[in-house]
Amino acid sequence: MIKLTKENFDQHKTGIPAVGKNWIKVGMSTCGIAAGADEVYKTFVEEAKKKNLTVDIKKCGCLGMCYAEPLVEVHVEGVPQVIYGKVNKDIAIKILEKHVGTKMLVNDYIFDLSLTMKKVGK
Amino acid sequence: MDKKIVLLKDTSIGAADKTKEYYSLILNLLRDQNLQDSVQVVRVADIGFYDQGLVLKILPGQVTYGRVQESDLLPVITETIQGNKVLDRLALEPNEKQLRIVLRNCGQIDPENFDDYIAADGYAALKKVITEYKPEQVIEQLKASGLRGRGGAGYPTWMKWNFARQVKAEQKYIVCNGDEGDPGAYMDRSVLEGDPHSVIEGMMIGAYAIGASQGYFYIRAEYPLAVERIQKAIAQAYEYGLLGKNILGTDFSFDVEIRLGAGAFVCGEETALLASIEGKRGTPQPRPPYPSIKGLWGKPTVINNVETLANIPVILLKGGAWFGKIGTEKSKGTKVFALTGKIKNSGLIEVPMGTTIRDIVYHIGGGMLASKGIKAVQTGGPSGGVIPKEFLDEPVDYENLQKLGSIMGSGGMIVMDEDDCLVDIAKFYLKFCVEESCGKCAPCRIGGFQMLSLLENITSGKGTASDLAKMRRIALAMQKASLCGLGQTASNPVLSTLKYFAAEYKSHIEDKKCVAGKCRYLLNYQIIPEKCKKCGLCLTNCVFGAITGNREQGYILDPAKCTKCGRCYEVCKFKAINKG
Amino acid sequence: MTEPKLSEDIKKVVEKWRNKKGSLVMILHEIQNAYGYVPRETSLELSKYLDVPLARIYEVITFYNYFKLEKPGKHRIAVCMGTACYLKGAPVILQELKELLDVEEGHNTKDGLFALDVVRCLGCCGLAPVMMIDDKVYGKVKKEEIMNILSEYGKEE
Repeated sequence: MIKLTKENFDQHKTGIPAVGKNWIKVGMSTCGIAAGADEVYKTFVEEAKKKNLTVDIKKCGCLGMCYAEPLVEVHVEGVPQVIYGKVNKDIAIKILEKHVGTKMLVNDYIFDLSLTMKKVGK
Repeated sequence: MDKKIVLLKDTSIGAADKTKEYYSLILNLLRDQNLQDSVQVVRVADIGFYDQGLVLKILPGQVTYGRVQESDLLPVITETIQGNKVLDRLALEPNEKQLRIVLRNCGQIDPENFDDYIAADGYAALKKVITEYKPEQVIEQLKASGLRGRGGAGYPTWMKWNFARQVKAEQKYIVCNGDEGDPGAYMDRSVLEGDPHSVIEGMMIGAYAIGASQGYFYIRAEYPLAVERIQKAIAQAYEYGLLGKNILGTDFSFDVEIRLGAGAFVCGEETALLASIEGKRGTPQPRPPYPSIKGLWGKPTVINNVETLANIPVILLKGGAWFGKIGTEKSKGTKVFALTGKIKNSGLIEVPMGTTIRDIVYHIGGGMLASKGIKAVQTGGPSGGVIPKEFLDEPVDYENLQKLGSIMGSGGMIVMDEDDCLVDIAKFYLKFCVEESCGKCAPCRIGGFQMLSLLENITSGKGTASDLAKMRRIALAMQKASLCGLGQTASNPVLSTLKYFAAEYKSHIEDKKCVAGKCRYLLNYQIIPEKCKKCGLCLTNCVFGAITGNREQGYILDPAKCTKCGRCYEVCKFKAINKG
Repeated sequence: MTEPKLSEDIKKVVEKWRNKKGSLVMILHEIQNAYGYVPRETSLELSKYLDVPLARIYEVITFYNYFKLEKPGKHRIAVCMGTACYLKGAPVILQELKELLDVEEGHNTKDGLFALDVVRCLGCCGLAPVMMIDDKVYGKVKKEEIMNILSEYGKEE
């Protein structure tokens, strides 16, 4: 493991590989896990492998929308990035088949809050 | 034409959700126009706008329409989807009520992945500070930012740091207070779980500014995942040389350890927290001396809350002046709230200081959960107060909440509706404080107990006219004479409910009635003969012999024998028992 | 697990903390986590081992809610009594548990299968009312569901 110094810090940062083109993030904080995020995460990993889909499955913290846990955010090239809420095993499979597989959004589970919050950018 | 997507949701409140009907209508219209293959229509669960009728959002481009009528659908398709023209009469302004500074990375990065944090500009502020800034300059930036402590009291962070900085000592400490004790608040847990490195980075910058070489995370043991994530993050920081000796090759050295809280609310109080870190009972000490002069093991110590620390890296990276532009005159930046209670969208929100309660409840929270109207909003937990619905348009900041008889607190915000009894709520909070009182000083220990027994009398129908004056007197004594914040503020929920809901107290005392129907002993049960089907289920379920009768003549409930357990009310399938 | 004496594991923990300042609370955490409570015999041993008066150890144990002095039931039920849960019906859930299990809060059932506890806030307010059995969190609990939930834990015996 390299020790970071003021000299090599920026180099290390630029060397971090970019996130893949297609990814799914699963919210894995206490509330998400309580609502079943563990099973959802497992389903994504197993089913993506079974279906031979190239998509990175990542864990992340809490988006804050506790009422809609478990939450997953999906980014697939050519499809708008969206957040799905109240996801369970069946919906996870649907997301993989429809959203990742055929690039179509899945009905009834999108929580689209993109116009409700500003984030502090870089 | 590029492939377009239409998101839709019927956001009407108080009417049946017609999203599916509109969905079919749009699909039919698209088919008529032969557009079914180039446009996808998607029903969504939440579209970020509330009480705006049918809302449509057209992607790409994010054009959003509200209060769309059936007759508007065709023009939307022909003019906006096909013609790329925005229909001004339907267009909604973005509902950007939230601003995420503290929660910037929560839900974005993998909290267990060090490089995720680095890629999100993590530790860039630390690098800037320890290679370019003198400690005084860090404090200057904080002064310009106007950041105040997010743990509740709202003391300016720069002043705390400056006091500790000016004391000469061979050892100083910085402590992160993660002993989030307010029942109903979990902002700190989420930040620790979702973005642990940002809290560590904030702490390191603080340590550099005051000259501390050792830090402690004091975290509730009831938050095992938060502890685990902080532990991992600390280990990673050591591996990469961001903690330990000569950080980033500079002269700055800093070590961090974790200490666990063990379920004592009073340990959120600074001096009690320090006693607990020292391995002792968490009893508070009189102040002064303040911890920034004489704290942990007698050494100058700065104690900052999790949310406060998570703000620090952004402030140093973007500059104090940038932060100072957000918020109100005296309250800068944003505040994270745990918005819960009788609200549709319970969750964590982050808003600029000065946002109104109405915006929070209706435009972020999505409005009330049931059709019941809003009664009040509680902030500040057991040390705070209630804000009745008349003040929904008041902006949220430190001074204003205090003026209204509540406090900012750590960030619990609980919405109550007409089913909630404010006397019962006051009792709930006071009971919490009485149970959590450490017992060291008499005003808190005895005053709390006495006030609670008065409240218990009132809610069980034994209240007398002089009780309210007695409670006010005890409250004053507790405020003036208690040793620490817990006792000084324990009466706040009682005082603020007395201030705004005196009529509710009166009806408990004089009429022996609880309008909300919460206080069990004030309820009366009655069998309504017209609705009764004489099934006898209530009779078999009443173990107190208060119900008599038979299947021919029907049943009668004797109020003198009734213990108000409510069992008959629950089992009756015909709603033939009246509760009130 | 032999409880009375300081097991080797606990000794290791104590050694780890021995030279750190103010470590008593952390050592007690480790004992509590290992046994589910702090047995009196362990405290006695600890007192000798660390050369700290027993009273000083008990003073700390009894101050904090997290440390228990009695051996807990096999499964710990924790009912959240945070404000959000309170408003959304936690008292009803607690009452139902008390009746079904015939036990008061803070105590074990007669068969030792369950311990019933009330806790402050589990931090899952979005799922209120919440209860937790061992490490599993149950959200939006309804009174009618409790019997079923409990029966999952009875079967395995």
